[in-house]
Amino acid sequence: MLENLFVGTTDWLRSLLGGIGFLPTEIAESIVLVVKLVAVLVFILVNALWLVYMERKVAAFMQARIGPNRVGPWGLLQTTADIGKLISKEIIIPKKADKVVFLLAPVLIFMPPLMVFAVLPIGKNMAALDLNIGVFYLLAIASLSTLFFFMGGWASNNKYSLLGAMRTVAQMVSYELPLVLSLLGVIMIVGSLNLSDIIAAQEHTWLIFTQPIAFLIFFIAAVAETNRCPFDLVEGESEIINGPYTEYGGMGFAMFFLAEYANIMVVCAMATIMFLGGWHAPFGLTFIPSWVWFFIKMYVLIFIVMQFRWTYPRIRVDQLMGFGWKVLVPLSLANIFVTGIGMYIYRAIGW
Amino acid sequence: MFGKGLVKGLQITWKEFWAPKLTVEYPDKQHPMPERFHGKFVLDVDKCIACGLCVNACPNRVISLNKQKVGKKQYLTDYKMDIQYCLFCGLCVESCNKGAIHFTQDFNMNQYFYKNIPLVLVRREAPAEPLEEPATGGEEKPKPKPKPKPQAPKEEKVAEPAPPAAESEAAAGKEGQ
Repeated sequence: MLENLFVGTTDWLRSLLGGIGFLPTEIAESIVLVVKLVAVLVFILVNALWLVYMERKVAAFMQARIGPNRVGPWGLLQTTADIGKLISKEIIIPKKADKVVFLLAPVLIFMPPLMVFAVLPIGKNMAALDLNIGVFYLLAIASLSTLFFFMGGWASNNKYSLLGAMRTVAQMVSYELPLVLSLLGVIMIVGSLNLSDIIAAQEHTWLIFTQPIAFLIFFIAAVAETNRCPFDLVEGESEIINGPYTEYGGMGFAMFFLAEYANIMVVCAMATIMFLGGWHAPFGLTFIPSWVWFFIKMYVLIFIVMQFRWTYPRIRVDQLMGFGWKVLVPLSLANIFVTGIGMYIYRAIGW
Repeated sequence: MFGKGLVKGLQITWKEFWAPKLTVEYPDKQHPMPERFHGKFVLDVDKCIACGLCVNACPNRVISLNKQKVGKKQYLTDYKMDIQYCLFCGLCVESCNKGAIHFTQDFNMNQYFYKNIPLVLVRREAPAEPLEEPATGGEEKPKPKPKPKPQAPKEEKVAEPAPPAAESEAAAGKEGQ
């Protein structure tokens, strides 16, 4: 019952639309798709709100504080109140800013996470769209957000914004490489780019056990991709005020802020799918619905990302670049090499 | 081993995550105050003999008191502290021979209006007659009203929730709100 909650809802909607009769199948199907995508959007927004709250709570708990506790029960409505405040603020556009790009950047920043989540299978048969080149699509779209950060930083016409934006581009482009290369090992083993196939291949053994190095590389690169501490040079407050967001206030800033959390969610969901067996239940605990398992795994990873932030200091720009190019890239290449040899040997001895 | 420090750091923050929290949500909960905390003043009116030593002891001239002679005794009618100038040095408490004025642990003396800031410890009318044991001179009718009731409704008592006068120790006990 719970297992098929969302799948059942979709089927019910589809049969309802089919029951109307006069609708052609294509239109009925596209209505279902729109409903799915809206659900994904709502899901991401609600999760982003929750993650801001969670981040503040985690931060507080690691500093022996309580954190937000005034608005709503246990401060649960704190983020809602914050967003309400930010919405009511004036949108200030710098005089020499490129107005169109400046206003477009915070709007578009939410596109990549939304588009990525459309293909993620967040439970058994629960991908809004099941693409057979899922991984490729996912990586292509996820790297798009670099562009929107740069748009924001460039259009602000501010030195700090531009510096921050340049750093974003440098950082995200450099870490895109180990991210993709570490996934290559997974794809080699599974032999498919389809996310559902990758999950199906992990039914008995999660790929984190066959590809531990790849998981580490992927996770580090993912943290860097989302500009989180210890790689949060983009918004290094002590150096470049707030990076690309410097000139943004009110809702523009809030969009960037929420998009950061949406991105964290995306990369953690990716790591869950690629390495942690997606929605497969460990230890045969299948009475818990698959999508609950997916969320548990995803949130454990998100918690670790948050813990990173309150554990590690920010690293320097040259260290960042050096680490990316001199450590992660060769390591991931070596990992691919070893994986290839291993697969060849396994095939030779006939496993 | 390379990266050992990273793991150790994570262990520390993980332990901290479960450690007891130090925050005290102030208006709801309060830190216990030390016993000898210099907080709000209370005056034990029955002990006070209106000698004015505290007034003289105060370095900031915070305390003002009015007294009236009733029979042969000084009768305290007003005792006001301009608490905004008080530096809580405790010289008044030290100087009091009778131990009439002392500190409480209540530090919350916020007021919404400036005029409410002064701490009025006593405000009452002097009785027309001396109270007990009337002076030996002649035939004044003795034993009037036993105690001067503090005419509570008439005066606007500021900054002091309980009737300050007569049953002062009881009032002081309630002081903590």
